[in-house]
Amino acid sequence: MSVAETDIYGNSPQGELPPSHVRRRFGRAAGRVVSIVTTLLGLLALTFFMGRLLPADPVLAITGPEVSKEVYDRVYMQLGLDQPVWIQFLNYVGNVLQGDLGTSAISGQPIIKDLLTIFPATIELAFAALLVGIGLGVPLGIVAAVNRGKLIDHVARIVGLAGSSVPSFWLGLMALFVFYGLLRWVGASGRVDVFYEGLVTPVTGFLLFDSALRGEWDVFRSALNHIVLPATVLGYFSVAYISRMTRSFMLEQLSQEYIVTARAKGLSKGKVIWRHAFRNIRVQLLTIVALTFGGLLDGAVLVETVFSWPGLGQYLTRGLQMNDMNVVMGAVLLIGLVFLTINFISDILYRIFDPRTR
Amino acid sequence: MIRNLLAAGALAVGLCSGTVAVRAETPPNMLVIGTNLTGIRTFDPADNNARTASELLTNVYDTLVMITADDLQTIKPMLATEWSASADGKLITLKLRDDAVFQSGNPVTAEDAAWTLQRVIKLGRVGSTDFALWGFTPENVDQLIRAVDAHTLEIELPEVVNLDLVLYSLAGASLGIINMKTAMEQEANGDLGGEWLSANTAGSGPFHLSQWRPNDIAMFDAQENYWGDAPAMRRVAVRHIPESGNLRLQLQAGDVDVGHYLAAGDLEALESDENIVIENVPGLGFYYIALNQKDPDLSKPLVRRAFQHAFDWEAIADNIMKYTGFPWQSMIPKGMPGAPEDGTSRHSYDPELSRKLLAEAGYPDGLKKVLNPAGANHLAWTEALQASARKAGFDLELVPGEFTPAFRERNFQVLTGNSGARLPDPFAVATQYAYNPDNSDEARLASYYLWRVGMQSEELNALVDQSMKETDPAARAGLFSKMDEIFSGMDPALVIFFQRTDPYVMRANVKGYSGHTTWSTRWHTVTKE
Repeated sequence: MSVAETDIYGNSPQGELPPSHVRRRFGRAAGRVVSIVTTLLGLLALTFFMGRLLPADPVLAITGPEVSKEVYDRVYMQLGLDQPVWIQFLNYVGNVLQGDLGTSAISGQPIIKDLLTIFPATIELAFAALLVGIGLGVPLGIVAAVNRGKLIDHVARIVGLAGSSVPSFWLGLMALFVFYGLLRWVGASGRVDVFYEGLVTPVTGFLLFDSALRGEWDVFRSALNHIVLPATVLGYFSVAYISRMTRSFMLEQLSQEYIVTARAKGLSKGKVIWRHAFRNIRVQLLTIVALTFGGLLDGAVLVETVFSWPGLGQYLTRGLQMNDMNVVMGAVLLIGLVFLTINFISDILYRIFDPRTR
Repeated sequence: MIRNLLAAGALAVGLCSGTVAVRAETPPNMLVIGTNLTGIRTFDPADNNARTASELLTNVYDTLVMITADDLQTIKPMLATEWSASADGKLITLKLRDDAVFQSGNPVTAEDAAWTLQRVIKLGRVGSTDFALWGFTPENVDQLIRAVDAHTLEIELPEVVNLDLVLYSLAGASLGIINMKTAMEQEANGDLGGEWLSANTAGSGPFHLSQWRPNDIAMFDAQENYWGDAPAMRRVAVRHIPESGNLRLQLQAGDVDVGHYLAAGDLEALESDENIVIENVPGLGFYYIALNQKDPDLSKPLVRRAFQHAFDWEAIADNIMKYTGFPWQSMIPKGMPGAPEDGTSRHSYDPELSRKLLAEAGYPDGLKKVLNPAGANHLAWTEALQASARKAGFDLELVPGEFTPAFRERNFQVLTGNSGARLPDPFAVATQYAYNPDNSDEARLASYYLWRVGMQSEELNALVDQSMKETDPAARAGLFSKMDEIFSGMDPALVIFFQRTDPYVMRANVKGYSGHTTWSTRWHTVTKE
């Protein structure tokens, strides 16, 4: 008997190797770690070399265009730009591995510190947008599927598609004009009214959460008032995708025989739709939602600019505009990490929702 | 489920509408400025000299002397109450007031002032640009700038320089006086307090920084122990609002009192709003077309002259350039000593003349070149140039992008851009447009625009040097006038069409806020009606 052989339950002979399902799981985990590490390294290399090959001058980013030769040369040396590119790259990777993303060339602050203050704002906005996307997209998709081919189906399609075809900065400006300029229902820029700035000391960095935690309800209302519009504009962008996918998943389920059976057994339409059909599309929807969340981080760049939302998108844009490559690399790395984390979490959620993957 | 969703929606709407009772205006003792904070990297005065940062720093760090927006030529006291120069002009003595205190409560002394000036030179960052001009180096500055007693400061110049020029540079926000004791307590790795000062302030001005989140907000609170009159504004919030349309809505709604950097379309819309005032402040710089003299075609004088007649600048003066510049075609800014009377319309748009000049230069079929705007903000007028130049025999291929680095490396053919300077004296502009002591590529004198285009005139170099030293005002005006004459007579490779202006937008109830040519608007005189 060779060592790799197992009995019919997948167990290997005692004392030699762990049971095969454990090995499989271990192998899968190791595979994932390897893939995460290579992805990260690839990401680092890509952003680093893109940053160095761009015809932008990081020295001018710091000094401004009207600078004397002496100052220019001094900054050039300080940035280590006199060293070969590959040494600069190795230094960068070495630092990242030690948890040091470098210092922003232009703010002089450690990138990690900047990211910690900025990231919660983006996550808060993306979550709120996701709620809007799911809250509108899923019911819209279900209604469209149930009423396939009828007027309501067409309306749902138009409403959904409008969100993804209209540029978000234009939609943002229009929404601002109507809901802030004319109706004055919402706040226009930033996360909170200027009068409430700094009243709540950050605990988590999520302003809605922090203000509620401290019982600062005025701040909470102001924060809600400021997040509603950007979150709706950003979330509306994802409605098309979520609603179209929900519709096709639902149509697939509704055409199944078990639905006919359920109806024949006398179950109400609502119960058939929600208890049976919807229950079975949850796992597929999860994939869609996870992908959407990543997309919301990207899409936030324009919305953040229109609404002066102090998040990652603006930080990244500012880094690019000012040729602050450490900032760009740090922010891109973080977005990459978020995608990896989302993948990881949705994997876990699959297991919970779909017994077949256990 | 649907019912639950509806209920949740209703709850959300209810919570939001809880704040529908919207304020019509900002509080009477608070000023809200909407601007672009992208360029602000640190609050260390030695590390700043750009427009937005200068305004913020001006209100935190008192300078030794100041220049007010209404009279740029007169130097007024601030921390220094009086000053004098020795007979040979090489020693400046300043008497400091004895009632000024820093945020910390420490008195402002000549020692703080000497340390601050030495620090700027030793650090050698952008803040030193205007002050290092007078010959200070990290090696000589400790001997040359010294505190004689607690309230007497001596500045010894390595060479004779016009006293006004030195005082103008002392009025710049980069030379705001820092509390030496506080800053040095926070020193790390010999940075003279730089890292701490990047996010904290230690000045004697009417405000101090109370909150700072880059790209979001900078909040300033009134200084309780300020030596001057107490500011009416107890708090000034400077908010990052990069989107011009958003800023315009907030100005109209009254959520923002003062707006910077609005786009032309939004300014146009605001002009008819009776609650809004737009102030267009002349700046010390020009919009130019730069012609690289390393290019054999562009280095021909006739081709350079043809460019003067190839741009229909009049057609865009009242629209594209309405809020960002006014017609001006001399290298001496309007209203400054030595500025000409005929500066507004020297170059006529004359496509036929331009084509004739090109033919004389050996290009009867016209000339093809690549045209780069220095940045995206120059695209609109560059497109107008491209269109009118086509009729005048120039086939310019417009390639947009960020071309300031290429300009500095002399790696371009035809480029459009604008310039800015801080010292309210023609000398500051003359160093950019008329000075080039070494035209070799290796010299890399990119702070001189004339070097960037590869042009040089010994005569102009001598005149610029002279204007730095000359003390007689009439003689100086004569020097600048002479420079202008030589400059325009040599068909310069920097063809000037407009002088820059910077638009400031204010709510009509805001009084005492005025845009400043040298970017040093003070907030402590601001009131609201």
